[in-house]
Amino acid sequence: MELANTLSQDGESRRGVLAHLERLETQVSRCRKKLEEPQSAQAVESALGTRIHELRRLRDKLRAEVKQHQARVKASTTNVEPDQTLEITEQEFLKRKRENVKAILQAYRFTGISGKLTSRGVCVCIGTAFEGNLLDSYFVDLVMQKPPQIHHHSIPVFIPLEEISAKYLQTNIQHFLFTLCEYLNAYSGRKYQADRLQSDFAAFLAGPLQRNSLCNLLSFTYKAEPEGQSFPFCARLLYKDLTTTLPTDVTVTYQGTDALSTTREEQRAAHENLFFTKPLHQVFTSFASKGDKLDMSLVS
Amino acid sequence: MRRELAGDVGRAKEMDETVSEFFRRTILKIPMTEMMTILKTWNFLSENQLQTVNFRQRKESLVQDLVLLCEENRASLKDAALLDIIYTQFHRHQKVWDVFQMSKGPGEDIDLFDMEQFKSSFKKILKRALKNVTVSFRDAEENAVWIRIAWGTQYRKPNQYKPAYVVYYSQTPYAFTSSSQLKSNLPLLGQALTIASKHHQIVKMDLRSRYLDSLKAIVFKQYNQTFETHNSTTPLQERSLGLDINMDSRIIHENKIEKERVQRVTQEIFGDYPQPRLEFAQYKLETKFKSDLNGGILAEREEPLRCLVKFSSPHLLEALKSLAPAGIADAPLSPLLTCIPNKGMNYFKIRDK
Repeated sequence: MELANTLSQDGESRRGVLAHLERLETQVSRCRKKLEEPQSAQAVESALGTRIHELRRLRDKLRAEVKQHQARVKASTTNVEPDQTLEITEQEFLKRKRENVKAILQAYRFTGISGKLTSRGVCVCIGTAFEGNLLDSYFVDLVMQKPPQIHHHSIPVFIPLEEISAKYLQTNIQHFLFTLCEYLNAYSGRKYQADRLQSDFAAFLAGPLQRNSLCNLLSFTYKAEPEGQSFPFCARLLYKDLTTTLPTDVTVTYQGTDALSTTREEQRAAHENLFFTKPLHQVFTSFASKGDKLDMSLVS
Repeated sequence: MRRELAGDVGRAKEMDETVSEFFRRTILKIPMTEMMTILKTWNFLSENQLQTVNFRQRKESLVQDLVLLCEENRASLKDAALLDIIYTQFHRHQKVWDVFQMSKGPGEDIDLFDMEQFKSSFKKILKRALKNVTVSFRDAEENAVWIRIAWGTQYRKPNQYKPAYVVYYSQTPYAFTSSSQLKSNLPLLGQALTIASKHHQIVKMDLRSRYLDSLKAIVFKQYNQTFETHNSTTPLQERSLGLDINMDSRIIHENKIEKERVQRVTQEIFGDYPQPRLEFAQYKLETKFKSDLNGGILAEREEPLRCLVKFSSPHLLEALKSLAPAGIADAPLSPLLTCIPNKGMNYFKIRDK
């Protein structure tokens, strides 16, 4: 009864328990709403707050990166000559570095043995040289399987590649490559000497230079002086060691019917010795320079 | 004295008739477009003499004039044989070439090959066995020699119109011979080659073609000469995969992955280099019949079936290379087809294991 009376002070005067309960219900819902509103607002608020923090963090990070980049650019520009006003971007810098490394890799071939990794193994380039002259390069493409194998190559067919690979390829690749290098360099050197003789000293030769694929047998008839009264000698050079560029056997003979004078015999023996000790084209260079001296000896 | 002279002239004329006929026929073979080049290579008729000849006249008359010049220069059979060699060198594809492989014994000394010794030894062996034989040599590039052999018999003079040719690269185990009509002389030829080049054995390889240079590339293993180096300017990835990049982007290749796989496999097997040229591959099969179906007359046959399968093409290896990309065959191709350059064979005998 009291309850009913106190409630009747709030506006509408209604009677009964049900009406009272109704009024209580609306009160509760009103209170609940009031409580929720600040909560959702708060939720939205906090969400926005965290977003702001995130964006601030991102902004600071980007700022730091930009500062770093600028610092790097400054550092690289300080290495460039002061009169270069171009700004080198990072991309260009890396490009230059890459080209530099590439050039070094390309220059490696001057060391004699160089290689490049392939999908199957390695492609080795053997460069040959003689007396400071760069000569031909030869390639061996190796498949690096459990027994290493040669995939394909550019080694001339008369170089004993099968023999060398049978001996060393399976057990010691380094030795295989060094041996091959030895054979190829020696062959190139012998070939160079024979080519030089044929081209530069043709005037000294009385007939064609006889040679073979390996350039390990050379036979020719020559005169120590291209013009003049000297008699031709026949030289036969054998290179029994395929890893050397100097002959192992030399025979110089006289192609005439009458007996050799002592001076001629001395000359013959001296020439033999020359062929043993000096590369072929150098022997003929010395003939060319000695020309005058020999003439004098003949006259006397 | 005068009588002797007359006799000499008579004899000289007799010899000249067969030789001049040989000259006439050899020069007649030469196409007009190559006449000057071949004559200059031969270097037997001087520049002045060649200038006196009218090269615009009819071929028969030209040949007559040239033969007269040869007679003036007292040309011999040797000179005619040399001209024949030069003609054959220019027209090497007209002959079919076989390949022989020689071998030495184990632990042989270093090969100190002397070309003059080889030539004289080769000639001596043939002449000792056959009195009537003409042997001529011509040096070629890369320390090789072309040998021409005209065969005769004990009682007949050598037939100059059916010579055999041998091409030998010094200090290699391979010799290339043009298929001689007279097969009975082959063992003697093999013997002469082996002994003169200081080898012990000679074996005929199962490799034959008109293209001498391709045979050389195959046995000397010179056909694949592309090597990866740091100095090469073309990167390997730039190879187009055969699919047109410029095609309309609205068109999609449904089996693009398969196509790329086929291209990759083909490239791995055949490489990027031009294939050596062969005209055929021949497979002699002697195998038992194999069938999935049980029964049937052939399934019970004990004896193997014999058949011959021959692939022919103007350029066999290029044709084989294009089979899988064209969709005609599966990739990878049968190793019986792809092993041809590697094994140096284009004749195969296949039997059951």
